[in-house]
Amino acid sequence: MRGNYRRSPLKLESETKSQSTYKDIKTFDQKNWISENLGYKKDSGNWAWIFHRITGIALIAYLFLHIYSLSPLTKGEAAFNAKMAQFSSPFFMVIEWFLFAFVIFHSLNGIRIVIVDWADGAKYHKQLYRLSWVLGIILFLAMGALMFSHELKKLF
Amino acid sequence: MYKYRASKDTGSKSWVMQRITGLALVVLMIGHYILMHYHPDSGHTYQAVLGRMQYSWYRIIDLTFIVLGMYHGLNGIWNIFRDYKMKPWLKYSVISALVIFGVAFTAWGFNIVFSIPYIN
Repeated sequence: MRGNYRRSPLKLESETKSQSTYKDIKTFDQKNWISENLGYKKDSGNWAWIFHRITGIALIAYLFLHIYSLSPLTKGEAAFNAKMAQFSSPFFMVIEWFLFAFVIFHSLNGIRIVIVDWADGAKYHKQLYRLSWVLGIILFLAMGALMFSHELKKLF
Repeated sequence: MYKYRASKDTGSKSWVMQRITGLALVVLMIGHYILMHYHPDSGHTYQAVLGRMQYSWYRIIDLTFIVLGMYHGLNGIWNIFRDYKMKPWLKYSVISALVIFGVAFTAWGFNIVFSIPYIN
């Protein structure tokens, strides 16, 4: 094993096969050298990169959807309120709350990226990643309290 | 004589713009979320929207928000595509699609904002 990098299951299968047949022969695997030695490591900010990408794609998709869903504003009050009645259900409120999770991750990780690109910020990228999760969960719960406080007041 | 032809654009301007628009969007987005959800009616009724839209500065903020969001989002999508090696035709098709979608939806958003009347 070269280091403790994770490999894709496909490569792992072929590796174990070749290891069992040529156990003691060490060959230079030119074909897979780059993917095995220079591939992204899943432990050095890579999860931040993956989540940033997923949340980013989701948010731009939502922006298109948002412009579409607000378009009844051109048709006046009745059309808009009818459309918004669909989005005022508890189900959509929970969806909006989880959308905020995407927003807050992308925001905090974006700030982290700006700091990491700055002078000495790269030294602290792991601490900043953990900090962004802690802050993000706190802000997520705070936004939940803000969004659902009126619903909760009705219940009690 | 062989001459290597490639774009001189390293993407540094796009990089800086992505940072600037990103930081602006953080502020705008947090404000937007709080404003739209501090009361269930504030984001979901026509009267609330109409009330806000009587202030021109609020319209300006909304239009800025659309432009910055579209730019940042589609530039981000383009940065994802840039991670892969593309044939020129694919590259230009992707750029064209992103620009067309971006401009169309921005125009739609502007149209929605301008369609809301001022009540005097």
